[in-house]
Amino acid sequence: MKLYKSLIYRELKLTRKRCILMLILFLLLSLLMLLPIVIGGLSGASEMDEDLLSIVWLASGVVALTGGFLAGTNNGLQKADINSGWKRYSFILPPTAKQQALSDLLTKLCYILFFGLLSAAFLMVCNIVSGINIAVEGIDPICRMLNIYLGAVCAVMLVDIAYIYIIMFANDKKQLKLISVIAFVGAGAVFKVFGLFPGMNKTEKPVENGTMISEEAVNKFEAFLCSWKTSLCILAVFVVLCVLFFLAMWRSHERRES
Amino acid sequence: MNDYENAIEIKGVTKKYDGFTLDNISFDVPKGCIMGFIGQNGAGKTTTIRSLLHITDINSGEIRLLGLDHIKDETAIKKRIAVVFDELPFHDVFNAKDMAKIFEGMYPEWDNSAYMKYIERFQLPMKKKIGQFSKGMKMKLQIACALSHNAELLVMDEATTGLDPVVRDEILHIFMEYLQNDKRSILMSSHITSDLEKIADMVTFIDKGKILLTSYKDEVIEKHGIIKCSKDKLKEIDNEDIVSIRTNNFGAEVMVNDRENAGYKYRDCVIDPASLDDIMLYYVHRDAKEWS
Repeated sequence: MKLYKSLIYRELKLTRKRCILMLILFLLLSLLMLLPIVIGGLSGASEMDEDLLSIVWLASGVVALTGGFLAGTNNGLQKADINSGWKRYSFILPPTAKQQALSDLLTKLCYILFFGLLSAAFLMVCNIVSGINIAVEGIDPICRMLNIYLGAVCAVMLVDIAYIYIIMFANDKKQLKLISVIAFVGAGAVFKVFGLFPGMNKTEKPVENGTMISEEAVNKFEAFLCSWKTSLCILAVFVVLCVLFFLAMWRSHERRES
Repeated sequence: MNDYENAIEIKGVTKKYDGFTLDNISFDVPKGCIMGFIGQNGAGKTTTIRSLLHITDINSGEIRLLGLDHIKDETAIKKRIAVVFDELPFHDVFNAKDMAKIFEGMYPEWDNSAYMKYIERFQLPMKKKIGQFSKGMKMKLQIACALSHNAELLVMDEATTGLDPVVRDEILHIFMEYLQNDKRSILMSSHITSDLEKIADMVTFIDKGKILLTSYKDEVIEKHGIIKCSKDKLKEIDNEDIVSIRTNNFGAEVMVNDRENAGYKYRDCVIDPASLDDIMLYYVHRDAKEWS
């Protein structure tokens, strides 16, 4: 336990600045999203309730999505460890690769929990400020928020795992620069290749019937987002990604210099 | 805790890189001994140290630290060794207090009072960020961390390089104190031979990835000598006695590998004692034989 306390302390202390910046961004966005709700709530007109509800749903979705992206994104620790020489030094320290990987995962989970709670708090504030009942029949706002939040976390974590696999091959600053450039060019090439597939680039296709997305599609998507089944699926994907993240970090700590 | 005779045992270790090979090296560091690991830049000192610390994998050979296998018993070994690199591997945002908190949980035998004593002795600020430390302060902090968990083996890779003579002397003094406990051993790589001359019990010379000699320092210094003679006299010296020859406008300086024997053989020549610096220099040029 003392070992994990030390390892997590190091990681949290190193990522503190980044966390504060992310928190400021998150709070600014929350404030921006909250403004129309506060104004709508203060007007007290009951005919505006439906519009206010739409705004609350949109705002909570955007905030949860942003929170998820911020929590799941790479915290820059690996890069900092390579640059400072700590990665090489860590090979001579007593914690095993498995213990270090577990502490990396725990740190990540700390951030995910932190921004998840903030997103939930935002929803509650919306509920209070708007003065309306944000729970629509058959739809749980918490479940919807959780799905959006975890979905965003999963999407970003997937990219993070790929990033970890790529930079694990760097031993020092020089190699890190080279690998970053190669990875950047490689990612650009992959996107370019995807764009060549039929149906992947429809920017020139005119909009049918003047509407971009039908109301039916929106309703279906909302129902999908608010379902507990979706929650279970996303949670399962999240668990799998956590395991993959742990394995990637384990491999990264275990890998010796060539 | 296991019993062992040699703190480090390296047997037939080979590590291949593009353009460099650590070629079948073998040497031991006995328990309670300070081993100076000498060689010019690029000779293979750092590769050897990285291999024995399992920072890099080796191609063949066997390495034992504190009597244990360096890969199979890695976790047990790491708790009992300390390493000091030429550059501080700690993040700039931390301070000395943070480092104590970090290492406290990592090392079962971490001694906070010993750490504080070193911090006070080195006059290091507790709350100042490491990024604002001078090179000497950074090295002192690294040494304080290395010596505060009762490590039995201290490995140093060019730890005194780039430091001024006062700080170097202070650090060497600390190492001598650390070795008062005869269970402790030090492997110290450096190309500053004067430091090793002061404190090392044994020396190992490495050049171009090969170990040239490994023995007790006094023995090495006693065995080698430099004959100063004219170029005509040079022809009388047996090739097998010569390490290499340094020529100049006035004659030649010949390093011999058996000073006592050379004294009998070449009675009319003056044989000067050789320093570790001289020995390194003459061995490095052994392939050219004659150099100036």
